[in-house]
Amino acid sequence: MYSLISAEELIKIKAFVFKNWIMAKRNIFAIFEIIFWPLISFLSVGLLSNFAGFSSYMKGFILIGVVAMSAIQVCQLDMAYVLLYDIWGKSLKHNFIAPIKPRHFLMGSMIIGIVRGISVFFILAFFSYTIFNFNIIVPNIISNIIFLVGIFLNAAIIGILVSILVLIVGYRAEVAAWSIVSLMFLICGIYYPIHILPCWVQVLAKLFPLTYFLEYYRSFYGFKPTYANILLKGYVLLFIYLSIELYLLDKALKRARIKGILLKLSE
Amino acid sequence: MSLAVEIKRVYKTYTQGIIKKRKKNALKGIDLEVPLGSIYGILGPNGAGKTTLISIISGLLVPDCGIVKVLGKHITSDADYIFRNINMCSGRANFLWSMTVQENLKYYAMLYGIPNIEQKIQQLLDLFCLKEYKDIQFEELSTGIKQRLSLAKAFINDPKLVLLDEPTVALDPNVAMLIRETIQQFHKQKGITFLISTHNMEEAKILCDEVFFIFDGQIKAKGSIDSIKRDLKIGDKICIEFFENYPSNSDISDIDGILDISVTKNLISIIVDDHKVRLPQLLSNWESNIIKAIEIHEVNLEDVFFNFSRRANKN
Repeated sequence: MYSLISAEELIKIKAFVFKNWIMAKRNIFAIFEIIFWPLISFLSVGLLSNFAGFSSYMKGFILIGVVAMSAIQVCQLDMAYVLLYDIWGKSLKHNFIAPIKPRHFLMGSMIIGIVRGISVFFILAFFSYTIFNFNIIVPNIISNIIFLVGIFLNAAIIGILVSILVLIVGYRAEVAAWSIVSLMFLICGIYYPIHILPCWVQVLAKLFPLTYFLEYYRSFYGFKPTYANILLKGYVLLFIYLSIELYLLDKALKRARIKGILLKLSE
Repeated sequence: MSLAVEIKRVYKTYTQGIIKKRKKNALKGIDLEVPLGSIYGILGPNGAGKTTLISIISGLLVPDCGIVKVLGKHITSDADYIFRNINMCSGRANFLWSMTVQENLKYYAMLYGIPNIEQKIQQLLDLFCLKEYKDIQFEELSTGIKQRLSLAKAFINDPKLVLLDEPTVALDPNVAMLIRETIQQFHKQKGITFLISTHNMEEAKILCDEVFFIFDGQIKAKGSIDSIKRDLKIGDKICIEFFENYPSNSDISDIDGILDISVTKNLISIIVDDHKVRLPQLLSNWESNIIKAIEIHEVNLEDVFFNFSRRANKN
């Protein structure tokens, strides 16, 4: 019985992997998302660093931020798309009359998001090494995994937030899929260390788990972390936010059934 | 009698606007029972509450109050069981635009956690004559094929209850006929219960054992189309014009199915349950050379709703 239930769960998760994969495969912009835009952004920042005459130490600081941000952006987009595709196709109601739970579409979309995020990470790592002579992949495999898991869970937080907003306000929330990440650019220290930010923004930065994961990864390149126990803080914050968001997503789905939003989004 | 759908005192109000809130009462105390293995229809004009009612039964929408039981289970506490055993098809089919017919079916089969997906998909492609379109993306399909895909998807999980929300709207008559035949075939072979919302009285008459007339969020009448017509004294109107005054010696009152008669000089207007059956019976009463013209007006949904509106205004 247990294995039967597990097999069914896996099929349902696979459904969303399948959907996101097919939709991405047939969409020319998907190629832009994983190659064009991240590469343009990465090369621009890298060349700017060259022009400004940054040391390889400083250049590394910035390039790590850009790579992490690009991987997060791509992964969270997949999670946001899982509902947005059906909203754009006006087929959302067919999903929610099927016996699925949020965990199925979240896990399914996250799998494909991780695949695309890892692709971006390695593509940019390749260009970082060949063009800017900077190796973004640290020698310790475990540390790479810890960092990437943290990065993709950060993406999940944004992706789930977009899904919650979509279920609350409908079409108008789609802009969140592209804009929330930009806020992180500003606050989490992508291009600069957070100690240069105004005090109140530094307080905000402490609330974003990404801040700690960037500090963790940069510590392998000689940057001293601003805070102690960065990994612990990062993962605890991730756990808290994910728990809250999963609760809110469930509430948002129930509310959508009460308010008729699922129906409205399918018309 | 086992019931596929049991609804008691269901109300639903939509609230619109953020600051200035406007309320619309979509359903006002609906009671409805659909026996297992039957085909029932919900007839009503736009905005009557048909889609709201179907959506509540499907679990897409939660009512403000009332009891909703589907396949004997409560819609909120046993949602998972219900979702596994029902499915839905809407008119104006919409699916993921980049996916082919086969991929769309595969995706929905997976949502139901169905093993042996390929076999199931092949069966449906055959049944709904979709094989030649299986590799065509949804956005490139004609309206009729899209609707066939929508209907095929509705049978992907071998449901016990299928909800059809205006399944033949905007379709060519031959495609609409094919869809009706498929519904009848599935009903006969598999004993599936169907609840169909439609504008089309003729379609309801062909398909449904009984219908509910819904108007302004309330069920106004229930029964077979013919019995409702009888109750409401509405039916097909036959106007016969004579060359001279209406023959006073005529006696047509004993003909079955006559609901109303009015005579003015050389014109008689007769309301009958079915003009195809009653016209020959009527004409047998007169010599053909005294009849100048015959005009037939088939009853349609507008007549029924006009009747309801008139009654509501009177009340």
